[in-house]
Amino acid sequence: MTAREVASERGAIAELVRLGKSFRGIPALRDVDLALRAGEVHAWVGENGAGKSTLARVLAGLHPDYSGEIRIAGRPVRLASPAVATARGIALVQQEPQLVPELSVCENICLGREPRSRVLRLLERGVMRRRAAALLAGLGSALDPDARVAGLAPGARQLVEIAKGLAAEPRLLLFDEPSASLSQREVADLLARVRALRARGTGVVYVSHRLDEVFALADRISVLRDGALVASAPRGDWDEASLLHAMVGRALAPRRDRARAGPAAPLLRVSGLGRRGAFEDLHFELRRGEILGLAGLAGAGRSSILRSLFGLAPAERGSLAIDGAPARIARPGDALRHGISFVPEDRQREGLIPELSARENIALLGRAGAPRRAWIDAPRERAEVAAVAARVGLPPELGERQVRRLSGGNQQKVLLARALLQQPRLILLDEPTHAIDVAAKAEIHARILELAAAGTAVLLASSELPELLALCDRILVLRAGGVVAELAGDRADERALLAAASGSALARAAS
Amino acid sequence: MIRACAARARRADTRALGLYAALALLVLGFSLASPAFRSAENLSLVLRQVSVNGILAVGMTFAVLSAGIDLSVGSLLAVAGLVSALLAQREPGALGIALALGAPCAVGVLGGLVNGGIVAYTRVSPLIVTLGTLTAYRGFAVWFRVNPVYELQPWYRELGRLELGPLPLPALVFFGCAALASLVLSRTRFGRHVYAVGGNEAAARAAGIDVARVKLAVYAISGFCAGLAALVLTARLGAAQSVAGQGFELQAIAAVVVGGASLFGGRGRIRDSVAGALLIGVLFNGLVLLDVPSPVQQMLIGAIIVGAVWMDAALRGRDDR
Repeated sequence: MTAREVASERGAIAELVRLGKSFRGIPALRDVDLALRAGEVHAWVGENGAGKSTLARVLAGLHPDYSGEIRIAGRPVRLASPAVATARGIALVQQEPQLVPELSVCENICLGREPRSRVLRLLERGVMRRRAAALLAGLGSALDPDARVAGLAPGARQLVEIAKGLAAEPRLLLFDEPSASLSQREVADLLARVRALRARGTGVVYVSHRLDEVFALADRISVLRDGALVASAPRGDWDEASLLHAMVGRALAPRRDRARAGPAAPLLRVSGLGRRGAFEDLHFELRRGEILGLAGLAGAGRSSILRSLFGLAPAERGSLAIDGAPARIARPGDALRHGISFVPEDRQREGLIPELSARENIALLGRAGAPRRAWIDAPRERAEVAAVAARVGLPPELGERQVRRLSGGNQQKVLLARALLQQPRLILLDEPTHAIDVAAKAEIHARILELAAAGTAVLLASSELPELLALCDRILVLRAGGVVAELAGDRADERALLAAASGSALARAAS
Repeated sequence: MIRACAARARRADTRALGLYAALALLVLGFSLASPAFRSAENLSLVLRQVSVNGILAVGMTFAVLSAGIDLSVGSLLAVAGLVSALLAQREPGALGIALALGAPCAVGVLGGLVNGGIVAYTRVSPLIVTLGTLTAYRGFAVWFRVNPVYELQPWYRELGRLELGPLPLPALVFFGCAALASLVLSRTRFGRHVYAVGGNEAAARAAGIDVARVKLAVYAISGFCAGLAALVLTARLGAAQSVAGQGFELQAIAAVVVGGASLFGGRGRIRDSVAGALLIGVLFNGLVLLDVPSPVQQMLIGAIIVGAVWMDAALRGRDDR
C-alpha cells in the first residue's frame, strides 16, 4: 500500500460544511464544520438541546431539509432520505431504539436487509438467526434471536438497536447515547466492539453524556453548544474540567459533601419481600431523610423492587411496615395513600403524557391531601404547580408548553415535580438522571439532597455508580434479584460496587 | 408563560379555525345556491337531524380520547329506543314519563358498562369488544321486539317537534350534552385522566391513575349518549324499531375524526367533534337540496372525511417539524 493510499484510507469519510438545520425558524444547528475520518472514534458532547442528536439525524438522512453541504469521500451528496444515507454507508444507532415491537430480535436486526433464498426469494430464517446471534455475541449478549422485542427490557432493546446498526456494516456508524440504558458490563462490551470497528477502519461517531466513556474511547472530541461547534480537538488536548467548561460555558460548582442522615426512626421496613422472577427474600430498612441506593447490573432487580413498592408489580411474598404499621401495597393507589411517590425509569413510555402541557402532567393527580373535588380549581392548580415547579427548578415559562417539546432534563423535572406534588414521605427514583445533560443532572442531584434534608426518605435505583456514591447514605448491591452487599456511602467506591454487582472475588472479600 | 400559552392556543386554533371556517363557508355556499336550504324550516330540520349523530359523537369523543372506540352505539341505540317506545305507549303519569325518559339512558349506561367492563378488565381491544357487542346488542334488539313499536303517547312525540325559540328541543339536548361533556373534559380531574389514559396508558398507570375505572366510565358515558340519542330519535320519529341506528357508529366516528381527534387517543375536543357532526349534517342536507344523486353524495362525503383528516395531519406535521 502506498503512502498515498494510506492517506486516503485514513481520510475523511464525511465532511460537513456550514451545516445548519432549523425547526420552525428556530435554529438547532448553525454553521457546523466537521470532518469525520475513517478509523477514528469521534465523540460529540454537549448538553441536551446542544444539537448532537439533530446532527446525527441529519447524517442519517432523517432531516432532509438541512442547509449547508455534506461531502462523502470528497463528493457533495444530498442526504435526502434514510435510504440515501444507508446507500452511502452511514448508519445510526438511535437513543430511543427504533424497533418493531411485534417482530423478533433477529427480524429487527435484519430489517430491510433480510437474507433471501436464491429460488423463490423466500426469507432464510436460519441465516437471519445466525447472523443476529453472531452480532449479539460480539456485544457480549446471549439474547435469544427469536425473542419478541416487545418483551425486552430497555437495555436489551438498546443492544438490539446497536446490533442493527452493526448489521449494516457501514463505513460511518453513529451512536447516539448508546449506553444510556446499558449495565456496566454491557457498556464494557460495547466499548470493546467500537474499538474493534475502529481497528477495521470504520469511522465512528459516539454521542454520550458519560464522560468516562468519552475519555476511554474517543480519538477526537468535539463540543456542541446551542447548535454550534464550540471546539474540536484530539482527546489528549482535553481534561474533564476543560470539557465540562466547554459544554456548559461556565465552570461547575464543585460538589459539596452532604451531611450524613441522623439516626431517625425507620420509615419503611421490608421483610422477606419476593416476587417470582424479579427478586427474592429482601430485607432492608429506610429511615426518614435517608437516601438508600440500589446498585446492580441491568436485570439485577433494581427496577422491579421500586415497581413493587409502588404497587405496579406487587410483591407476592413478604411484608412491609410503614411507620411501624403493617402495610399492603397491591396497586399504585395504595402506595400514594401511604405517601409513596414514584419516578419511573422510562420517561417516554411510563412517565409523560406527551400531548398534555407540563402543568397538566404535573397536576395529573392533584395535590395529595387536598379535598378530592371532581372539578379542578384552575387558579389554585396553577399556584400549586408553580410552587412545586420552582422547587425542582423547572423554568416557569415552560408550564404551558406541551411536555413532548421539552428537553430531557426538563421532562425529568416535570416527573419529579409530579411526584413532589403528592408530598411524599418516601420517594422512589428509578434512574432519575437517565440521558439528561450535565447541568440538569447536577440540578436534579441537588434537589434529591434537599428532599432528603427535609426528611423525605429516598430509594434511588441507578446504573451510574458515581451518582450512587455522590448521593447515597447506604447502597444495597443486587445481583440476580438478591442483595449481595450493603455498603455505607462514605466507605464505598466504584470498584467495590462493581465487584459486588458482578460477583467477582473482590466482592466476597468486601462483604 | 403568556407567550407560550398564546402560541399553543394559536396552534390548536389554526386547525380548529379551519374546520369552523369550512363549516361557515358550507352554510354560506348552500344558502346562496339554494333558497330552500336557508329557509327556517330547513335549518331547524338540519339541527334535528344532526342532533342524533351529534349526541353519539359526544360519547364517541370520550371513547376515542381514551384511545378506544365504541362501535356498539348504533345497536345500543336500537335497544334503548325500543325500551323507551314501549314505556311511551302507556298512559302518561309522573312515573310513566320519568320511566320513558330515564329508562333508555339507563339501558345505554348498562350496555356501556358491559363494554367498559370487558375493555377495562380484559386485554381484548375496544375495537373487538365493541364489534362483538355491536352484533350482540343488535341481536338482542331483534329478539326483544321484532316488530316496530308505534302509537306512542302524544306528549312523547311532541318532544321531538317542540321548538324553544329558534331551536328545536333535540338540538338543545345535543348542545346541552356537548356543553356538559366539554366541561367535564376540560375542568374535571376525570376529564384530564381520560386524556392521560389515551395519551399514554402506561404513564397514566405509573402515575397512580386507576386506568380501569377511567375506561369503565368512558364507555358508560358513550352508552349514556347512545341512550339519549335513542330518546331523541324515537321521539322525533314517533316510533322505534329493532333495525334503527344501523351504521350510526360510523357516522359518529366520522364526525369525531373530521373534528380532528386522534384515533390513537389523547387528542381531541368536544366542540371540534360538534363542528364535525354539523359539517357532515349540513353537507348531507345541502347536497340533497341541490338534487345531487345519492351515490354521488356518498362519494363526496367519503372524500371529504379523508380530505379533512389528511389536511389536519398535514397541518400537524408542519407543526411538529
